[in-house]
Amino acid sequence: MQAELARELPPAGFNFENCKRNEALINGGFLAPKTVKTGTTIAGIIFKDGVILGADTRATEGPIVSDKNCSKIHYLAPNMYCCGAGTAADTEMTTDLVSSQLALHRLNTGREVPVVCATTLLKQKLFRYQGNISAALVLGGVDLTGPTIYSIAPHGSVDKLPYTSMGSGSLAAMSVFESRYKPDMTEEEAKKLVRDAIAGGVFNDLGSGSNIDLCVIRKNKTVDYLRNYEIANRKGERTLDYSFLKGTTIVTGTKTFNLDITETVIPMEVA
Amino acid sequence: MATERYSFSLTTFSPSGKLVQIEYALAAVAAGASSVGILASNGVVIATENKPKSTLYEEGTIHRVEMVAEHIGMVYSGMGPDYRLLVRNARKLAQNYFLTYKEPIPVVQLVQRVANLMQEYTQSGGVRPFGVSLLICGWDHQEERPYLFQCDPSGSYFAWKATAMGKNAVNGKTFLEKRYSDDLELDDAIYNAIKTLKESFEGKMTANHIEVGICDKTGFKRLDTATINDHLANI
Amino acid sequence: MSILAYNGGCVVAMRGKDCVAIATDHRFGVQAQTIDTDFEKVHQVAPKMFLGLVGLQTDILTVRERLAFRKKLYEIRENREMTPKVFSSMLSNFLYERRFGPYFIEPVIAGLDPKTSEPFICNMDLIGCPNVPDDFVVAGTCGEQLYGMCETLWKPDLEPDQLFEVISQSMINAFDRDAISGWGASVYIIEKDKITVKKLKTRMD
Repeated sequence: MQAELARELPPAGFNFENCKRNEALINGGFLAPKTVKTGTTIAGIIFKDGVILGADTRATEGPIVSDKNCSKIHYLAPNMYCCGAGTAADTEMTTDLVSSQLALHRLNTGREVPVVCATTLLKQKLFRYQGNISAALVLGGVDLTGPTIYSIAPHGSVDKLPYTSMGSGSLAAMSVFESRYKPDMTEEEAKKLVRDAIAGGVFNDLGSGSNIDLCVIRKNKTVDYLRNYEIANRKGERTLDYSFLKGTTIVTGTKTFNLDITETVIPMEVA
Repeated sequence: MATERYSFSLTTFSPSGKLVQIEYALAAVAAGASSVGILASNGVVIATENKPKSTLYEEGTIHRVEMVAEHIGMVYSGMGPDYRLLVRNARKLAQNYFLTYKEPIPVVQLVQRVANLMQEYTQSGGVRPFGVSLLICGWDHQEERPYLFQCDPSGSYFAWKATAMGKNAVNGKTFLEKRYSDDLELDDAIYNAIKTLKESFEGKMTANHIEVGICDKTGFKRLDTATINDHLANI
Repeated sequence: MSILAYNGGCVVAMRGKDCVAIATDHRFGVQAQTIDTDFEKVHQVAPKMFLGLVGLQTDILTVRERLAFRKKLYEIRENREMTPKVFSSMLSNFLYERRFGPYFIEPVIAGLDPKTSEPFICNMDLIGCPNVPDDFVVAGTCGEQLYGMCETLWKPDLEPDQLFEVISQSMINAFDRDAISGWGASVYIIEKDKITVKKLKTRMD
């Protein structure tokens, strides 16, 4: 209803105005550009007192590592977090949007939102886009029914499991879970297991790397977001210095704009 | 009445330059339950009557004070159903802003947008103006101070230090003018808000018959009956 | 050839101690043919915020205008300056809106917060996935070379003078190995109280 001229925000949803042009360019022999993928090893398990989510921190653009320490465990609600693998922008935007929908639901109902509700919102969105939004998610949370882990595939299928992994390093992580997972582990045991599963991905999958993030959500509703729980790969210390002497770079012109402006106002004579 | 000739469409001005439907909407507000809001130095409080019309009502299920975002809350005088629509919209506007800018919406911005919505209902076809006035309170994270706004059915909005709406608004405002000072603490403000409601309250006031919402830099919350009882004990 | 490399060019931004720097080359070409050698890809969008855009030139111009529109509207409506953080969220949303028909650009944002003067750098892929590291960000046809140079030359807490040498040497040596970037360069050093713009002498081949 809001008048077109006074719009506060652009109309919601995707914009397809460039699609025809882009198709023509690609048909003309130009390659479609690469987007940032998270490659990724993500995992989640249920333990005695709650759930633990884990993720590596590498983002890739083709063979290039575009972010060495990105965070892949996204906030959904106070009792829920979600790991994302796939196209980085898709996982980021999808979880942000659902987090907002959950906040609205929380305000409108005045209750804690159950984990299955977030799962449904996510899978319905992903199914609607038929896999074109490439987000593979591991959702973990705690509600009235206890701790739950869901894995959601990009086409919208959902698995409810005691332990799961996703992303290019999921096989490495799953091999660790398959050999060592048991129900009702203690928190320390469980953290170690998730850490080892992610480390399996970090060291054996090229799409995963750098550090290990963990997120512990307990039945008593306390959350520990352990960003960079383990710095698995440190950059080598540089022993010598590459600093350049001042004037190494030849400059042909310099302009300086002073921003620290002190203004003196002289009142206008009105007499 | 002569004005009735200009009531068939709310988008028609009367010869004296009034939109009478908006004035009728304000009359609906003036007939509604009283609500007050007071700005304190470290927060802001909003409060309202929530007196059941019959003893058969189950208390504490329908709320008049609502949270809009972590740092914003609101209350109304006037028609409940209209208020619900505005609350839902305000919440959506706040979330939309957060998604776009990754920053909590400033209170002034939310008030402007809600007021815009209310204005649209005075100029569109097939609708009527909202029968509510809103008190929107919140904490501004940029300026690090609280704010208290009133939004009217016409779409006009005001920033207040303290105000009252609904039944007995005039008496309430006079009372507040005498009581208000700039260095009020949040607890004093809660005391004064309840006191203002009590001035015009018919019958004995209990914690189940009023609702209080407070907002400081930690966010907005509706006080539970136990806390309200503690405050009532001081009065 | 990727459509992002149609016009060539590169941008790099680095964080220093209480300052940030952003640098761009000057070439504008159509594939292998050089058209212009005085073409800057870095735009000042606020007194202390710069936006670098590389990729398809036609999209760079469109995106710049559309962003300016949204930014101005925000500033008029809210009567306050947009912070680099808010600007990057807005840009990220703008690009993701076109997730299925993107603009062929890669943005880089560098600036200081107008109130706290906190340094901020950020880059994104063409569909708006933000990356906010604490060292440096690169974009453009010699991105791979730039990553190499920056990884070796950058170190924490560089003073403005040192930061200038580091960013200049990183950029010059990176685009000397790229046929479709170069032909001069500009460096912007943003400090709390001033902005210094330097034009660099580079190889012109």
